[in-house]
Amino acid sequence: MMTSFFDQFASPSYLGIPLIAVAIALPWVLYPTPSSRWINNRLITLQGWFINRFTNQLMLPLNVGGHKWALLLASLMIFLITINMLGLLPYTFTPTTQLSLNMGFAVPLWLATVIIGMRNQPTVALGHLLPEGTPIPLIPVLIIIETISLFIRPLALGVRLTANLTAGHLLIQLIATAVFVLLPMMPTVAILTATVLFLLTLLEVAVAMIQAYVFVLLLSLYLQENV
Amino acid sequence: MLSRLVLVSGHTLKNSGSFGACMVQASRTFHQSSQSLAPVPPLPEKGGKVRHGIFPEELFTLLYPKTGVTGPYMLGTGLLLYMLSKEIYVINHETFAAASIGAVVIYGIKKFGPSVAAFADKINEDKVAKAQEVKDQAMASLAQGIEDEKKEQWRVEGRHMLFDAKRNNVAMLLETNYRERLHMVTNEVKKRLDYQVELQNLHRRMEQEHMVNWVEQSVVKSITPQQEKESIAKCIADLKVLAKNTQARATLNLRIFSKVLKITVKNVWGKPGFPVKRLLA
Repeated sequence: MMTSFFDQFASPSYLGIPLIAVAIALPWVLYPTPSSRWINNRLITLQGWFINRFTNQLMLPLNVGGHKWALLLASLMIFLITINMLGLLPYTFTPTTQLSLNMGFAVPLWLATVIIGMRNQPTVALGHLLPEGTPIPLIPVLIIIETISLFIRPLALGVRLTANLTAGHLLIQLIATAVFVLLPMMPTVAILTATVLFLLTLLEVAVAMIQAYVFVLLLSLYLQENV
Repeated sequence: MLSRLVLVSGHTLKNSGSFGACMVQASRTFHQSSQSLAPVPPLPEKGGKVRHGIFPEELFTLLYPKTGVTGPYMLGTGLLLYMLSKEIYVINHETFAAASIGAVVIYGIKKFGPSVAAFADKINEDKVAKAQEVKDQAMASLAQGIEDEKKEQWRVEGRHMLFDAKRNNVAMLLETNYRERLHMVTNEVKKRLDYQVELQNLHRRMEQEHMVNWVEQSVVKSITPQQEKESIAKCIADLKVLAKNTQARATLNLRIFSKVLKITVKNVWGKPGFPVKRLLA
């Protein structure tokens, strides 16, 4: 069988045992449980500081009803950011490159926000379909457009994350292959390409963090509208 | 980190039934600290020492007796070359990706590591400092309380001086008041006595006047007309004699006076020291 660049996105298995569960559960072991001690070591201190800060920032625009989602959104953020960053290591599998996982996160959570909005305040939730100050002739068209944009949200959430990470990983593989192939032939070009690879890796680190943050932020925005 | 998984799963296995019992005994050799939970053992302040960021120092100390300082490095190089030569590890594009991400990670750790560690330490230190500040404030307020109490006790000791001064003050006021009242009483009594004295004087004067009047009246009454004529004639004769004497004396005086005046003017007028100006002025 020919190896292709897309083999890195195949669900991992070893001797027929699927390892996807291990790949998804792995980030959990990297975060030590906060102990009951008052002064902790650096890792737990930083972890606690980061999660506190992040949750604080995320919950600022939400009202009290939205604060019920704090645990969910914070843990989602930690999960996504860890998986994205770990995926940048060589020979690793990134679960968030799988559309199934990302849609599995996006659709239920988006649907939850919509249902909450429709149940608690249907008028306000439906009112979001018409922005303020639209000219009267445009109203029917705009409602259709807003409905389409509403239903495209879960698709956008999932596909955004998948596409960004997949594209990034593919690029890294491609340029690394270029470096590998060019090294015996044209070392200077290979070194230039290696520089490009280095910069791309930097970009991928940033993208990994940003995409996770954007996912969670958008969910919090949808929640803000509806809660 | 995977060892933590093993330990956690071992812990849960340990608690399950008969299999758990022998697991406890078997894993007892792995435990390094004592088995009791209280008091909570202190955590080490710093993490385990590592060399080159990932290799724990224990590996080097383990190998040192047998292979010396270069032992672990030889082991590492040998392993690497073994894996490369036997193509257990194949160099492919992922190697360069690994090199790239490795460079990013090492650069990040070298650049931001110390500041992040300092930040984490600062968070902990701020916690401790806050608690310490509370404790210090409590101690300071208690010490201040002790100082204030001592001051109050000293003040109480000096209280008797204050009372003495107040007592003196009050005594002085009483004394002054008493003296004023005494003075007033004396004045009143004197006024009454003066009144009585004046009254007596008045009585005596009136009696005297009355007596004098009465004596005069009786004398006047007792003067007969005959005595009156005689006394008047005698008075006239006396007066005549007196007049003659007086006239003679007067002319004699006048002559003496004019003689004296002449002599004086002759002697004094125009002589040095004569106060002309004074006279004329």
